[in-house]
Amino acid sequence: MKMADQNVVLRRNRPGTKAENFYRWCDEAYEEMDSTLVVQQYIQQTIRLDHNNIDTILNAPETQDEGVWKYEHLRQFCMELNGLAVRLQGECQPSTCTQMTATEQWIFLCAAHKTPKECPAIDYTRHTLDGAACLLNSNKYFPSRVSIKESSVAKLGSVCRRVYRIFSHAYFHHRQIFDEFESETTLCRRFTVFVTKYNLMSRDNLIVPILEDESAGQGESEA
Amino acid sequence: MDEASSQNQLGGSANPAGVANRQNLEEPSQRIQYSIPGILHFIQHEWARFEMERSQWELERAELQAKIAFLNGERKGQENLKNDLVRRIKMLEYALKQERAKYHKLKYGTDLVQGDMNPPVEEGGEEGRVDPDAILSTNTNVSWKQSRHLLRQYLQEIGYTDTIIDLRSNRVRSLLGIDGGGNEENHNSTPAMNGSDTTKRQPDANRWNVTKKTPSCLEAQIQDAERAVIDNFEFLRSEGMEMDDDDDEEEPEEEEDVHRLKSPKVPKVALDVDDVDGESVDLDPDFRFLPDVEDTSPGVLGFGPGSRRVYGPGGEEDALEGLGELAQLTVTNEADATYDQISSTKENFRKTWTAKYTLRSHFDGVRALCFHPQEPTLITASEDATLKLWNLQKTVPAKKSASLDVEPVYTFRGHLGSVLCLAMSGDGDKCYSGGIDGTIRIWNIPSSNIDPYDSYDPCVVGGSLSGHTDAVWGLTYHGQRQHLLSCAADSTVRLWSTDARSPLLYTYAVEKDGIPTSVDFVYESSNQFVCSFNTANCVIFDLETGKPVTRLDTETEQGSSSISRQINRVVSHPTLPLTITGHEDRHIRFWDNNSGRLVQSMVAHLDSVTSLAVDPNGLYLLSGSHDCSIRLWQLDSKQCVQEITAHRKKFDESIFDVAFHPSKPFIASAGADALAKVFV
Repeated sequence: MKMADQNVVLRRNRPGTKAENFYRWCDEAYEEMDSTLVVQQYIQQTIRLDHNNIDTILNAPETQDEGVWKYEHLRQFCMELNGLAVRLQGECQPSTCTQMTATEQWIFLCAAHKTPKECPAIDYTRHTLDGAACLLNSNKYFPSRVSIKESSVAKLGSVCRRVYRIFSHAYFHHRQIFDEFESETTLCRRFTVFVTKYNLMSRDNLIVPILEDESAGQGESEA
Repeated sequence: MDEASSQNQLGGSANPAGVANRQNLEEPSQRIQYSIPGILHFIQHEWARFEMERSQWELERAELQAKIAFLNGERKGQENLKNDLVRRIKMLEYALKQERAKYHKLKYGTDLVQGDMNPPVEEGGEEGRVDPDAILSTNTNVSWKQSRHLLRQYLQEIGYTDTIIDLRSNRVRSLLGIDGGGNEENHNSTPAMNGSDTTKRQPDANRWNVTKKTPSCLEAQIQDAERAVIDNFEFLRSEGMEMDDDDDEEEPEEEEDVHRLKSPKVPKVALDVDDVDGESVDLDPDFRFLPDVEDTSPGVLGFGPGSRRVYGPGGEEDALEGLGELAQLTVTNEADATYDQISSTKENFRKTWTAKYTLRSHFDGVRALCFHPQEPTLITASEDATLKLWNLQKTVPAKKSASLDVEPVYTFRGHLGSVLCLAMSGDGDKCYSGGIDGTIRIWNIPSSNIDPYDSYDPCVVGGSLSGHTDAVWGLTYHGQRQHLLSCAADSTVRLWSTDARSPLLYTYAVEKDGIPTSVDFVYESSNQFVCSFNTANCVIFDLETGKPVTRLDTETEQGSSSISRQINRVVSHPTLPLTITGHEDRHIRFWDNNSGRLVQSMVAHLDSVTSLAVDPNGLYLLSGSHDCSIRLWQLDSKQCVQEITAHRKKFDESIFDVAFHPSKPFIASAGADALAKVFV
């Protein structure tokens, strides 16, 4: 909330803030941000401005280290994907979706266990998100949020791959939820553009036809 | 002849016969084959050699000069130290004399006949020596006392309690051989004077003694400066030594008195010294040979090694220790000029909290956290819309730092949007969370030993309480009544029952006081709750009727800006009729529940106070703030006993919540940098 009588803008959501008033402060230019969590702040700010404006959201400022940029975006994706998981939680039952599938061709094994296991879809979703949270927050691979170790950049790719499967399962099996969620957040589209831009996944894996024709939304799996 | 031969040889070097003849005749000259190039070469060679040697000499000279300078400096330092010590000794001597006099007076009803009971001030006159040094020393003694007194006052002002000051002076005393030796009369200025007194008695005891004779000092003064200094170091000996001081006094009658005086003091002194570092004991072997020797030479020897030992523990250690404690004070208080009182964190009986566990897994700021009532587990709620259950016994092996990383055991998903507040049921089976989506969700907490990657168990989701129409900011649970109280940005406070069919028991419309920011049950009385608002009001309501019972008198205290009047958090003391509020204007205020009056207001942080927690015994208060620090306060004295810097800022927010464990020694803090930290 802005403190009008002082020149200092305090970007805080204080107790008692109404939901609609959250984050109602004026935007801060990237250069002026001064904290260790600058990138996260900036990304969240641009998303709040317009979540459809994918290019602005994904374009890194010039001086930004690319590894950190990718990392913070991935964190943001995992965080927002939680919303999809919550919506799926009600509908995606182990009895109906016994395996994590997208199309008939693809069955995904959950890597969160010692030996990859065929978890039901909802378990896969949860485990993947939890595993991603552990990995992205682990002190071993990502000890700092302002610089990324070269050896850890490869981990980002594998996280992306697994996380993408949640999208694909939702698209092919829980279409309505997927559409609702996508219209609210444009998350899948943004994610696809993100991984293509930074080459975090091979194009063969991008089976959700989100980029070509979102309005028609006909499922046509790509090889 | 040599010249001639060399001339000859110049022309014809090949004249073997002549050369041979000459060789046989004049061996020496033959060897010297003079030729101009040879001579030149020789001279050059010699010159080069000389130059080299000269440069070497210069080098050595420079080295030695540096060494000399260094040693000079060292010596000066030692001199200064020695002077300080001796001054201290004099002070203590004087103090001891006074004590003795007092004691004697008490014991015997008469004044102790001591040569001069006067403080060093008057000794100059008595001696008959107008000594500029004497005046100087007396001045320094008096001024030293004054400044010491002043220092003591300052220390007390900043909260350096007397126990610490006395502790240190006891250590000093014991290091210097305790209770002075009462030798202050005739030590006007120089240490020589001081030592000379003992020198005089050295034939007998080589110990500290109560001095009577003034004139003798005069002559002794001139004698051995070194021996005097050595004697000084005897004082630095440890306990038992000086007990025998007066055995060999010169003046028998006074000796007896003093002796009698001394012996009762033995146990007292021994006590004082008990808590001194063991180094003082180690001094004994060094000095053992000193008493036995009269002349200077062994004394000189002793001076060397002895001084080193002495200066180490005696002078520097104390100075360093004093500095250390003072430095500690300044470090913690560097920006806190507005504190009411701060006390040192080095007090022995106080526990210091250190960071032990770091809980990393959330993607966005952790808004609330709550400990389990019995187990070492806690739950955190975050703006990433999840809650996570953590078991502190399951840590990730992390080689890096002293603090251990913990991974969550379970993630609760259900909220759509940030989760803002959290409450735990009394038995630790359920927890309640309120979020920006206006719902309060109930969770059945799974066992803290489950596998994080287990199958999804829908039973964990325990339902949700809907009713609020806007972000829920405050949640609190009453163990005995089994009721849950919540406040939200829709300006209502709602009371819920956890086991009834229709959980909503009551809705209190409190919008005329503003938007509620935080609620708490009043524990000391049975039927009330206190609610704080963003308008700086804070009201105690009755639970049954919803009517305000007491309005806390907040009007007079607030600043002008509307935002800064906001109260961020209110907690009620578990046993006293006390309410504590944390404000946006950096203050923490204490209110009396019965009268509504302000008990105390203190500036607690450098930025707004965001969270408060009272420990289960009601003795300590923990406060967190957006200035990235959490502070622990003692409730009776309202003093800050520890400050911990934790968490980094995101936007302008830093720490959202702090908590005590109800039964174990843990405290935790939740930060905007998506971390939660646990301290032990």
